[in-house]
Amino acid sequence: MADVAAPNSIAAMGDSRSSLHKLMQRKSTVAFLMALPLILLILILVAYPAGYAVYLAMLNKGMTRFVGFGNFEFLFTRDTFWLVVYQSCLFAITAVIFKAIIGFVVAHFVHNIPSKGQRKWRGMLLVPWVIPPAMSTLAWLWLFDPSYSAINYLLEPLGVGRIPWTGEAGWARFSVILVNVWIGAPFFMIMYLAALKSVPEQLYEAAAIDGATWWQRIWFVTLPMMRNIIAITALFSLIVTFANFDIVRVLTAGGPLNSTHIFGTWAFRVGIEGGDIPLGASVSLFMVPILAVAATFILRDITKRGSEV
Amino acid sequence: MANVAIAEGATPRPNYGSMSKDRRWALRWSYFFLVLFAIFFLMPPIYMLITSLKTSQEISAAGNPWWIYNPTLANYIELLTQNHYLTFFRNSAIVSVCVVAVTMLISVIAAFALARMKFWGSATLATGVFLTYLIPETLLFIPLFKMFAWVNETFDIQLMNHWWTLIILYPTLTVPFCTWIMIGYFASIPKELDEAALIDGATWTQTLTKIFIPVALPGIIAATIFAFTVSWAQFLYPLAFTTSTTELVLPVGIITTLIKGDVFNWGQIMTGALLGAAPPLVIYAFLMDYYIAGLTAGATKG
Amino acid sequence: MASRKVSRRRFVAGTAALSTAMVAAPFVRGAYAAGKLSLGLWDHWVPGANKASEALIKQWADKEKVEVSLDYITSQGNKLLLTTAAESQAKSGHDVLSFSTWLPSRYADQLVSMNDVMEPLIKQNGAVNATVEYLGKVGGKWLAVPSTIGSQIKGPCSRIDLMKQLAGIDVQAMYPAGSPPKADAWTFDAFLKAAEACHKGGHPFGIGLGTTSDSVDTAGALFHGFGAQLVNAKGDITVKSDNVRKALDYYKRLMAFLPEDAPAWDDASNNKWLVSGKGAMIMNPPSAWAVAKRDAPKVAEQLWTHGFPAGPAGRYAPFLPFFWGTWNFSKNQSAAKSLMVFLSQASSAEKMVEASGGYDLPAFANFTTFKTWAEEAPPKGTLFSYPNPYNHQVLSIAAAPAPHKIAEQIYTQAIQTQMVVRYAKGEAMDKTLDWAAKEIEGFSRN
Repeated sequence: MADVAAPNSIAAMGDSRSSLHKLMQRKSTVAFLMALPLILLILILVAYPAGYAVYLAMLNKGMTRFVGFGNFEFLFTRDTFWLVVYQSCLFAITAVIFKAIIGFVVAHFVHNIPSKGQRKWRGMLLVPWVIPPAMSTLAWLWLFDPSYSAINYLLEPLGVGRIPWTGEAGWARFSVILVNVWIGAPFFMIMYLAALKSVPEQLYEAAAIDGATWWQRIWFVTLPMMRNIIAITALFSLIVTFANFDIVRVLTAGGPLNSTHIFGTWAFRVGIEGGDIPLGASVSLFMVPILAVAATFILRDITKRGSEV
Repeated sequence: MANVAIAEGATPRPNYGSMSKDRRWALRWSYFFLVLFAIFFLMPPIYMLITSLKTSQEISAAGNPWWIYNPTLANYIELLTQNHYLTFFRNSAIVSVCVVAVTMLISVIAAFALARMKFWGSATLATGVFLTYLIPETLLFIPLFKMFAWVNETFDIQLMNHWWTLIILYPTLTVPFCTWIMIGYFASIPKELDEAALIDGATWTQTLTKIFIPVALPGIIAATIFAFTVSWAQFLYPLAFTTSTTELVLPVGIITTLIKGDVFNWGQIMTGALLGAAPPLVIYAFLMDYYIAGLTAGATKG
Repeated sequence: MASRKVSRRRFVAGTAALSTAMVAAPFVRGAYAAGKLSLGLWDHWVPGANKASEALIKQWADKEKVEVSLDYITSQGNKLLLTTAAESQAKSGHDVLSFSTWLPSRYADQLVSMNDVMEPLIKQNGAVNATVEYLGKVGGKWLAVPSTIGSQIKGPCSRIDLMKQLAGIDVQAMYPAGSPPKADAWTFDAFLKAAEACHKGGHPFGIGLGTTSDSVDTAGALFHGFGAQLVNAKGDITVKSDNVRKALDYYKRLMAFLPEDAPAWDDASNNKWLVSGKGAMIMNPPSAWAVAKRDAPKVAEQLWTHGFPAGPAGRYAPFLPFFWGTWNFSKNQSAAKSLMVFLSQASSAEKMVEASGGYDLPAFANFTTFKTWAEEAPPKGTLFSYPNPYNHQVLSIAAAPAPHKIAEQIYTQAIQTQMVVRYAKGEAMDKTLDWAAKEIEGFSRN
């Protein structure tokens, strides 16, 4: 982004340095003032509390004493913490992979049909993404209900027994991922559809003339053309999925046996429900380095994009 | 099988010789799978609708959950006449509209400054804006309690348990992304446009209002919808910062007032959830193309 | 610190200085309350029960000329817990707040002493049970006043017909309305046999093994019945004891007869299980019965709330009290105390019990024989045994008598039900005990 901004202003400067000199001086002040609300917002409501959270994470349980990395050391000795690390990674990675696959497949089907009907289908398939997640998760909760499960009702004639959707660790993990995929896949679908439309038709024609099979066309034409967009979408989704709170909170609240807790929900359990605020803050902080890795990838991509402009 | 469809379908428009029979089949398969996916994607909202039309007796009777034996609008009537539901709705609407206004004001102006004007630290700031997207709100809400306590002691301003506090908090979630979208849009506007304007003696403000905003209008609409959707759907902040039924907003209001631990009120819960999902759905139905344009902004450039 | 705050605020709220002065003097009922008072009360699960407390509070407010704002806060999804944490951190909030089970001790430092309210009340209304005292009084200081609203015994609520047909137990004869229970044969063994019979008959007992309070409370009472303590009163970890092993073994056998997804149950699951007609018994206060009365009257007619089975170490029933407390940063503490005294009078308690269909349980000894419990129907007398009128069972809370900080964690992290599920799903006993010991070790940190 930075690079997007820079070349333009340099170019503007280059032309008539002397006549614009005064303007430039004024310009930087004006620009700073224009960005000031943004800066204040971020400093006061994001940066400061984030720093405060780091400080909190280094206090003892009663918040009376500074313990340095004591909370982190304590966490490393907890089985539940490692379970949460495992589940967070499993949850985020599996969900993103399935979102990407389903999004890709559905985007192809939509791309396939005559463009007249595409708008209608696209609109229908994007609905899960538009409904507030807390609301749609409630619907899923009700669909999964142990006593009244409407899904089990449909599966019964097929000879499938009562599935404990949120009752058994394996199924519960499956369920939270399923709901996450359901909410997120349409976003991938829309992104991929836009990317598919930007692939020049000639490339496919050339491939067809060369006698490429369907998968060769996907592998050698579609995927390379979509590489960037797949990467950006997946990384963005990874960040959001990793930091998820509402889906798991509403659907399973972390149970059974803590098997579906992810960082956000476990931090809440430990910090608020368990009354150990510093420990809760430490748990949330673990998201940051993992997200930072994702961020560097994205930033690198953005820088590349910037230099291409 | 799905693959067959993709094979022929990847190139729908041109005709490759005598493949029209294959193409018809490919099309059929495409529709078939699209219907399957549509069922999967639309099942929860449809089930919400079905449940919302049932009485609680019918729900407890545990008959066919997918059929309504005695359709009733009682849940809707009850919800819309009592239970503070209208208050939640009003709070949500005011909060969302204000947040959208604040967000667009801050992010359009800042994006313009960052995309077109340079000042000391602007590059760092642009990166910083993006990085805020990475800080989860589960990390921030406890420190915010502490800050609110300080504000209360120092200025005697009570920030807890007021819906308008959300107007202060939500922009942290919407501004970074909207700024980012807007920087992308502004960057795509040819430099010659504003250079010409500047040389003609236009001020920076004039350049912004007369050139950038009109040209980037689709992006602005997309960012507006984005900001609206995010503020309408936010869950954690209202859960943490508001308590009184007069101060709650929709998703949290439904979850905290309609669900009572021991008593299941699923007809009303589903009605509430459906009505809560309605405004974003309606906006989206009318502005779908902008919404999609906003989501995919930059996608094709990548 | 406190005095500094007062001086800073004096110009804002004249009442603040007044109320700080009041703290030192013994509390006198009728001291002029006045001013503004904000209340955050537990949002009642029984339909219509909030109206009674609202009416009572309004009556008090009119008399005392206090401007009251009233919020009902649900405990579902731990909203009440979150609100309490938020108010404690933000140092602002309701003047009277409902504190669930463990919260008075958690926020002991931030709560105003209620000794001046509780001591006269106990003289007037009779003693409170040991569990209320354990949870509400720390180091000689009453942290909060036990509230009628929301306090509950989570004993069995059985289907009369199914228990008779499938298990051969006549719960009405065992716990007759209007006379003392004849439940000597109602032991853990009899309970297990009944669970097996009902499971075989297609109507398993609906006992959850999740992490919410209904599941934890049942486990707590069963553990007490075996004398199984995870941590003793001194704070020593006693997980690896014979009694804990016995409790786990028993629970493992019981779990085979419970619904498959019991580990995912929340506080609503057992109610749904009973109301839908699937279960022969659940462990719950009468809210399930109240819903059945509304939505499934045929089921309601067959419900009977009664006492817990007895274990080798005694007959324990889970008791979950709620409290009313006042923050030390509250601006109108005198009015808050005046209201608590008013709500703890027999006439107020009786109204709340009535409105909640007998669900609410006053903590005081003289308050267990209101006519509501004898008269509620159908079937007549279904709630007679609910308030433990003959002190037939010991009212207990899971994880007691451990020190509060540890006990609270054992309770909220649902260590007992988690142990049960681990062991019953095939983990070795020693491994389960090791796991629990290690978790509890972590709770001891401060």
